Amino acid sequence: MAALDIDGLVKRFSAGDGEIVAVDDVDISIEDGDFLVLVGPSGCGKSTTLRCIAGLEEISEGDIRLGDTSIVGRKPMDRNIAMVFQNYALYPHMTARENMSFGLKMGTDLSKAEIDSKVEDVARMMGIEDLLEKKPRALSGGQQQRVALGRAIVRDPDVFLMDEPLSNLDAKLRTTMRTELQNLQQELGVTTVYVTHDQTEAMTMGDQIAILNDGKLQQIGTPLECYHQPVNQFVAGFIGAPSMNFFDVTLDGDSLEHDAFSYRLSPETLENVDDETTRLTLGVRPEDIEIVDEREPNSFRAIVSVTEPMGSSTHLSLAIGDRQYTATVPGDVLIAPDDQITVTFSEENTHLFDAETGRAVKNREHVRPDTEVQV
Amino acid sequence: MATETDRRWTNVAAVRSRASRWFSDIQEHPFFWILPAALFLGVFLLYPLVEAFRMSVTNMTLLDPTDYSYVWLDTYVRIFESPDFWGMTRVTLIFVTASVVLQLVGGMILAQAIDYGVNRGLHGSIFTRISVLSAWVIPGIVIGIVWKIMLIETRYGVINYIILQLGGDVVSFLSDGQMALLSTIVANTWRGTAFSMIMLYAGLQQVPDQLKDAARIDGASPWQRFRHVTLPLLKPVLFINIVLITIYTINTFDMILALTGGGPGRATEVLALYMYFEAFERFNLGTAGAIAVVMLVVNVFMTMIYIKYLLGEDEF
Ligand SMILES: Nc1ncnc2c1ncn2[C@@H]1O[C@H](COP(=O)(O)OP(=O)(O)OP(=O)(O)O)[C@@H](O)[C@H]1O
Ligand SMILES: [Mg+2]
Repeated sequence: MAALDIDGLVKRFSAGDGEIVAVDDVDISIEDGDFLVLVGPSGCGKSTTLRCIAGLEEISEGDIRLGDTSIVGRKPMDRNIAMVFQNYALYPHMTARENMSFGLKMGTDLSKAEIDSKVEDVARMMGIEDLLEKKPRALSGGQQQRVALGRAIVRDPDVFLMDEPLSNLDAKLRTTMRTELQNLQQELGVTTVYVTHDQTEAMTMGDQIAILNDGKLQQIGTPLECYHQPVNQFVAGFIGAPSMNFFDVTLDGDSLEHDAFSYRLSPETLENVDDETTRLTLGVRPEDIEIVDEREPNSFRAIVSVTEPMGSSTHLSLAIGDRQYTATVPGDVLIAPDDQITVTFSEENTHLFDAETGRAVKNREHVRPDTEVQV
Repeated sequence: MATETDRRWTNVAAVRSRASRWFSDIQEHPFFWILPAALFLGVFLLYPLVEAFRMSVTNMTLLDPTDYSYVWLDTYVRIFESPDFWGMTRVTLIFVTASVVLQLVGGMILAQAIDYGVNRGLHGSIFTRISVLSAWVIPGIVIGIVWKIMLIETRYGVINYIILQLGGDVVSFLSDGQMALLSTIVANTWRGTAFSMIMLYAGLQQVPDQLKDAARIDGASPWQRFRHVTLPLLKPVLFINIVLITIYTINTFDMILALTGGGPGRATEVLALYMYFEAFERFNLGTAGAIAVVMLVVNVFMTMIYIKYLLGEDEF
């Protein structure tokens, strides 16, 4: 068990005559026993980062430390790291037992009896003791996943690396395995780096999430930090589902002017906005859009184009100006397509981004003092 | 009047539709589509086969192919009792086994090297493939002649020249019996390795990289990864490869004819060559036919294994 520190990691691939910078100066520290989720869109360098940690790729620059020692240049085996792959990567010609003991056979000089007892212990823990003599082909996706996890656990590694391990499972099983994986990780207390492109997985599983885009680290923090206080427009749009609405606005005096509405800002907010920036992006989460009476200040009209009832809530597609936006309203509010409604959002829930750099100018408060629960 | 015309039209329509139904019946019948291939195979393969079989039960000679009588199994008995046949079989066995093993090993090494080169984006892998492949597409006769020139047993032979330069003595590559067999095997391996290389290279592409990565993390050395992951997954391809090159090597004849002509003595006379000499030098068409049938049986046997394996699917 150990903390993992990634320091200025750069990974370049040569491609033809040029080169691809797959990972660009990434710094991540994970405390001992923490669960870090690495999330980002396809091709942003998540797998590459993981492979660099595992030692499957040589790094171009930077340092990776496990505990206090650098593991750069060590063979994968000598890093004491276990990895779970997206397609499980079980050896098809070996039984579940052979799959799980392969690493111990190759990498250690344990006796056969010791290996067997270790494998059986883990199998019992994973609930797969009956499947040990089967080959992967005879197992369901979920069972294969368990064998793959078992293979990682049996080696008793310092760090788990998981590359989209749940993406091949169906939605229901994925939710179950998600919880199971979290419990398992907490029980074992092994530092874990978990890669996914699914922001729901990131939000629900991670102690910390690190958001990557285009090889660059955007933000690292707790899920709620990233949700409420995104450092830039990319993070704001990536975290949260349905994703945040962005309105292109210009600052005119004390109000934000949009094609379809104008929104007055309070003096406190205005203080934070640089005098020179007039082109801003206003970010509002769908659940922060409220339906109000038309006399309400800062309200404006919207036409409902599509409704998606989810039961407890309903997603509305709203036409505001010439663009579509999303609002989430309680499920018991009855609204039909083509209805005209008046909406607003409260200022404390809004985000403001510099339209050019995408940097956040104003975020909502992380935890509002009056809502903090006493325990 | 109107009804008359009507009836005529209906008749025409009925005939036409019957014709088209007949035509489409034919079209849908598999026989119609197999016919050209069946005719081709019948005329050019089946007929000669039957002829060879018929010949093998006669005492036909090339001197007067019309004057013969049926001796039935006598020819076979004579072959199986002759020490010549068993000598040729032994030569064939050595030749085939050694060639197949060497081609497999060589093909595997080349396939791995190319796979490695391609993955690393190294230059030269295309060059390697083309040069190895060209050995394969050159006709056997030419290969035989090229090697014969290279192996000339004076200092004018390329290889003996090199050996002399390195301080050795001239080696009788072709005039010493064992050496000649070895030379034949080497030349045949040189020629056939490309085929194994292509098949095994294709097979290697089927082994998921993730499995090799998993094995690396599991702490397997390169040899262990090959032995425990790559090789088992390559088994189906390997098997089919073995069957195909075995068949191919059993039937090799042109290259040996050009390289050693079966000599010295009969040291490199494989069954295929034996058959050829029986027919066209000793004019015993009957004996040649019988050898052909024996070889056919071996080939059919190999093919059956091959087909059984293809249809049986692998065991993963
Ligand atoms: N071996 C390689 N050679 C060249 N380029 C590579 C190699 N591996 C990855 N890349 C490039 O590096 C970038 C990052 O790839 P990576 O696989 O890390 O993305 P990812 O975030 O895991 O995406 P996904 O969610 O699709 O798995 C991509 O542009 C990819 O094309
Ligand atoms: Mg990936």
